[in-house]
Amino acid sequence: MTRALLTALLVVGSGTLAPAAAQSRAVVIRGGTVLTMSGAAIPNGTVVIQNGKIAAVGANVRIPAGAEIVEARGKYVMPGIIDAMSNIGISASDQDEPGEPLNPGHRTFEAYNPFGDFGSGVPGALRQRDLLSGGITTMYIGPADATLIGGQGAVVKTAGATLDSLVLREPAAMDMTLGSPPKTAARARNRDPATRMAEVAMLRQRLVKAQEYQRTRDANPATARDLGLEALARLLKREFPARIQANHPVDIRSALRLASEFEFDLVLDGAQGAFEFREELAARHVPVILGQVSHPYVSNEEIPNKDDYLPVDEGLAAKLSAAGVTTAFATFSRSFGSLAPSGAGKWLLIDAGIAASYGMSEADVLRAVTLVPARILGVADRVGTLEVGKDADVIILDGPPLSVKTWVETVYVNGQRVFDREK
Amino acid sequence: MTRGWWLTLGPLLAAGPVAAQAGETIVVRGGTIHTAAGAPIINGTIVLRGGKIVALGTSVAVPAGARVIDATGKHVVPGMIDNHSHIGAVPTDLNDFPKLIGPDHRFVDALNWLDPDFKDAAEGGVTTIVTGPGSGENVSGMAVVIKTFGDDYQRRMLLEKGGMKFAMGVKGRDRYPATTMGVAANLRQYLIKTQEYVAARKKWEDDGSKGTPPARDLAYEAMAGVLDKSTYVRAHVHAATDVMTLVRLKDEFGFDLTLHHSTEAYKVAPELARRNISAVVLPLGPRIGLTEDAMKGPYLLWKAGVKIAMHTDAPVINQKWLRLCAALAMRYGIPEEEALKMVTRNAAEIARVGDRVGSLEVGKDADLVIFDGEWYEPRSRVDTVIGDGAVIFQRDGGTR
Repeated sequence: MTRALLTALLVVGSGTLAPAAAQSRAVVIRGGTVLTMSGAAIPNGTVVIQNGKIAAVGANVRIPAGAEIVEARGKYVMPGIIDAMSNIGISASDQDEPGEPLNPGHRTFEAYNPFGDFGSGVPGALRQRDLLSGGITTMYIGPADATLIGGQGAVVKTAGATLDSLVLREPAAMDMTLGSPPKTAARARNRDPATRMAEVAMLRQRLVKAQEYQRTRDANPATARDLGLEALARLLKREFPARIQANHPVDIRSALRLASEFEFDLVLDGAQGAFEFREELAARHVPVILGQVSHPYVSNEEIPNKDDYLPVDEGLAAKLSAAGVTTAFATFSRSFGSLAPSGAGKWLLIDAGIAASYGMSEADVLRAVTLVPARILGVADRVGTLEVGKDADVIILDGPPLSVKTWVETVYVNGQRVFDREK
Repeated sequence: MTRGWWLTLGPLLAAGPVAAQAGETIVVRGGTIHTAAGAPIINGTIVLRGGKIVALGTSVAVPAGARVIDATGKHVVPGMIDNHSHIGAVPTDLNDFPKLIGPDHRFVDALNWLDPDFKDAAEGGVTTIVTGPGSGENVSGMAVVIKTFGDDYQRRMLLEKGGMKFAMGVKGRDRYPATTMGVAANLRQYLIKTQEYVAARKKWEDDGSKGTPPARDLAYEAMAGVLDKSTYVRAHVHAATDVMTLVRLKDEFGFDLTLHHSTEAYKVAPELARRNISAVVLPLGPRIGLTEDAMKGPYLLWKAGVKIAMHTDAPVINQKWLRLCAALAMRYGIPEEEALKMVTRNAAEIARVGDRVGSLEVGKDADLVIFDGEWYEPRSRVDTVIGDGAVIFQRDGGTR
C-alpha cells in the first residue's frame, strides 16, 4: 500500500513528491530471462538494483542481505525502452513557432510538462502512465516539424520526482526539418521558405551567420550575445548533433551536404529514403532514426504528404543495418489532428517487432529501441543496457518482448518502482 | 480502360458474373483455417473455383488438376476488410470545407481505383475496403465498398452506395453551427426537410403524376435513401454526448446507424446494444497513442453485445496493418476469433456486403490470406493472398 502510494505520487507527480532519496534496500529481480542488450540473453538470470543503479547482473550473483526479492520466473527482464523522438508532454500549440521558420534559440524542455493535467490539453499524468505501460523509460523530446529549425531537444526520463530531475541531457541536439512540412506551413502564410531551394538557402545563410558570430565573439568577447546564433555555434563546435528530419532522397542529400559543408554532426530523422545513401551514411557515421515500421510517415500530419516518401519498405532497417548504418526506431509521437501529442510510445516495442519478420534478428530489433538510441542520443553511459553502474531503468515483461500478447508488468526508473500493471 | 461504367447508375451489387480465371481450381490445404464463421478448422482444406469457395472442411477431396497450395503449419483467414478508410482519392478531394451538409457528394466521383495504395492493402491481406469522404462536413457524402485488387472496375465495386457519411462535431467556429447544439439542430432540420421533399414527391405521384413534377434536388434525394434505409448512416463520432445525439436522431428518423471511431461509445454501450447500433472503432494502430481507458473501449463494447469492427482510417494508418488494430484490441480481453471477426465478418456485415465476403464459407467469394504464423502477431508475414479465386500476391513469387 505504501509502495502503491509512492508509485502513484511518482507517476502523477504534483511537484511535492517523495524525495528521490538514495534507496538503501537493494532490489533483486531473479529467475527471469535477462536481456541485457550488451551480451547474450541470460536464462534464469538475476538483476540487482541498489542506490538507483544496476549493482549486479548475471546467472550467479550474490544476493545482498535484506534485499527485496522480485520473482520473475517465466518472465523477461530488460532495460527500459527508449523512444528517440517524441513530442509528448508538449502542448500541441507549443510544438511549432507559427510565424518564424528559424528558431535555434528555443529549448523544447521549456515547454515540456509531463505532469500536466490531461484535461488541460497538455498530456500529463495519464499519458505518462501510458508511456510506462509500454516500458518507455527514456525519450528524446523535440519540437515538431513545421519549421526549418524547431529548436533544441532534450533527453528525459519518463518518471522522476521533479521536472528537473527528469533531464538526462539538454540540449541534446538541434532539431531541423527539410521537405514538405516547413514549406507547407510557410506557404500557408504566404512567406518563405515556399520551396526546397528556399529551405536550404535559409538554413545555409543562418549557419553562415553562426560562423561569423562565433568569429566575432572570439575576436571580441564583449560582442552582444544572440542566443540563437550561440546555440548554432555550439552545433558547429560539435557539442551536440543536428537532428534533421529528411525523408525524400532529395532532402536526405541536402542534409548530408549541409553537414559536410558546415562540419556538424548529423542524425537523420525519418530517413525513409535512406536506402540509396546507405554506404555514405555508414562511411560518415551518420545514424538514422526511423519512424514506426507500420507507419513510417513521421511528419506531423494526419494525412501524410506522400510526395515526401518512397513506397513503404518494412525491411529498410534491416537493409541499413546490414550496410553498417546505425539504425534506431522511434515513434515520432506527434499531436494528432486536433488532439494532444499522442502516447504512441507505448506501442514502440510491438511495432518494432514487425521488423523481426523483415530481416532483422530479434536481438537487433530490441537493441534498436534500447542501446542504439542511447548511443545516438549520447546517453549510453547512463541507459540502454543492463550493465553494472548504469541507471536502474528496468522493465519486467510477462512474455517475449516482441509478441503482441505480452504486457509490461513492472517498470523501474532510477531504481524506483514507478509502474505496476493493473490486472 | 474504356468501360462505360459511369453510364450505368451503379448496380447496388455488381453481381460479378465474370468467372475468375475460369477453369483454374485452387486448393489450399494443411493449414489452420480461421473461418470467422465457427471454430478454427485444424488441417483443413479449401477448394476455390470460379471466384468462389466451393468446398471447405477436413475431409474434402482435392479435385483432379487442381493447383494445390500447401499451408501446413500456416494460418488461413478470410480476406480482411477495412470498414473505414480514405484511400483512392487525392487528399484535397476528401473534404469539401465550404459545404456543411453534402449528401449528394459521391466518393465514386473522386475515386481512382488504380491508386497504388490499393495494391499495398491487397499485399497486406486486406481485400475489401470501405473508402469514402472525410469528416470535414457534418454530412460529407456516399462511401463505396470496393475490392483492393484487379483492374476491372465493375468486378471490384461491391457497393457504389456504400453508406452515407455523417461527421459529428463543430466544423469551424467562424460559421453556423459553431456549437454542438447547432450541429444537432442543423442535422435534424435537414432530415425534416428531406421528409418534406419525399412527401411532396409522393403527393405528386399519388395525385397521378400529372403536370410538372416537383423539381429534383440531388442532395435530398440522396438523404432520402437514408430515411428509406436503402443506405445507412456511417457517423464519425468521438464524444459520448454526440453518440447520444445520433441515437436520438435514429430514434426520431428511424435510419440504420453505425458509429465510426466511436471513441467514447463504450460509455453508452447498453444504449447501443439495445438498438443494434454497430460500431467501427477508433483506429487503434501503433501510430495512435490512446489512453488505456480508450484502448479498453472495444472490449467493453464487445462485452456489452455491440457488433464492432476495426478500421485503419487509411492513410491515417497504413491499410495493410489493419490486423494490428485487431491485435491491439485483443490485448484488452477480446478473444482471438472474435478479434478476427472485427477485421473480416463483422466489417463485411456492417458494410452490407456480408453475403459476398468476410468469412470462409461455401458460396462466398474466394478471398483469403495465408499467414506464416498467427495472423495477429506483428512478426507474422503474409505468405499468399488469394482474391476472387486467383493468387494476387505471393511473398516469394512476386505479385499479380
